[in-house]
Amino acid sequence: MENNFSAENSLRLIAETIDRSRRTIARNSGKPLILWGALVALTSIIIWALWSKTGSAVWNFLWFAMTAIGFVCMRFLTRNSEKVPETEVSRMLGKIWMWFGIFATGFFVLVWAAFGIRCAIGMEGPLNVDMTLIIVLLMGFCGTLSGTVLKFKPITISSVVATALSVLFLMVMSNDSAIRILTFMILGVFALIVPGVILQKQTKN
Amino acid sequence: MPENGKLFKPLDPLLHSELRLAVMSILLDAGSADFVYLKSETGATSGNLSVQLDKLQQAGYIEVTKGFKGKMPQTVCRITDKGKDAFAAYVEALRSYISTDKG
Repeated sequence: MENNFSAENSLRLIAETIDRSRRTIARNSGKPLILWGALVALTSIIIWALWSKTGSAVWNFLWFAMTAIGFVCMRFLTRNSEKVPETEVSRMLGKIWMWFGIFATGFFVLVWAAFGIRCAIGMEGPLNVDMTLIIVLLMGFCGTLSGTVLKFKPITISSVVATALSVLFLMVMSNDSAIRILTFMILGVFALIVPGVILQKQTKN
Repeated sequence: MPENGKLFKPLDPLLHSELRLAVMSILLDAGSADFVYLKSETGATSGNLSVQLDKLQQAGYIEVTKGFKGKMPQTVCRITDKGKDAFAAYVEALRSYISTDKG
């Protein structure tokens, strides 16, 4: 293992080592994608059912419960998985989704604040903000960025397809607020579960 | 000296070793990694890896921190700025060899 290998071999060794290390890290990314996809899809179905039955949009607060459940499940999921270090790529992915969370939560809070202020000052009429569309676009954008950073085409392609399908669904179902929440089921399945399953299959192969 | 008269850039002997180069490649990408991970990724024996990590540490290319994770002892290696510079210079030198060979 000492100093008798060529320049080409050295460069090949560097490239192969980095590539192998990244694949080891990617091995643990499939299950979290499937978990979050299933949670998003399931939560959207529950909110749609409750919203349709009660007529109240307050069930949207279940998204916060879903986030908490997701983090608890992640702890169990990663407990027995292979311990891998963070890389520049995984750090970048973490930051992309951290900013998605901050923007989505901030936007949600701002909308409710605006709603409260309008009620307080006696303004009438609906608040003309398409929350679902904005969150869908944010999520699709972050998913596409993630696929690009990971250099994993199934994530990039499925994020673009999922966003296009979701926006189309929102436009077609533009009159029914409750049913529009099912957009997240489309996103959960196409943008998270599908690439997660592909990643898992590649890992097993 | 090559035919076209260019001088080869000297290769850092510390990095021109398969195991040390593999360790530095992983650390360059990850920033830091523990001993167990480095061992599994390089396929090296514990004894050999320890010796090579020690050489890299003595050169100031990596920092080694020994601690505990829960009740288990853990050795974490982190690449230093000096190590990053040395790695960049090494890759640059390798490129000069390849371009000279082709050119």
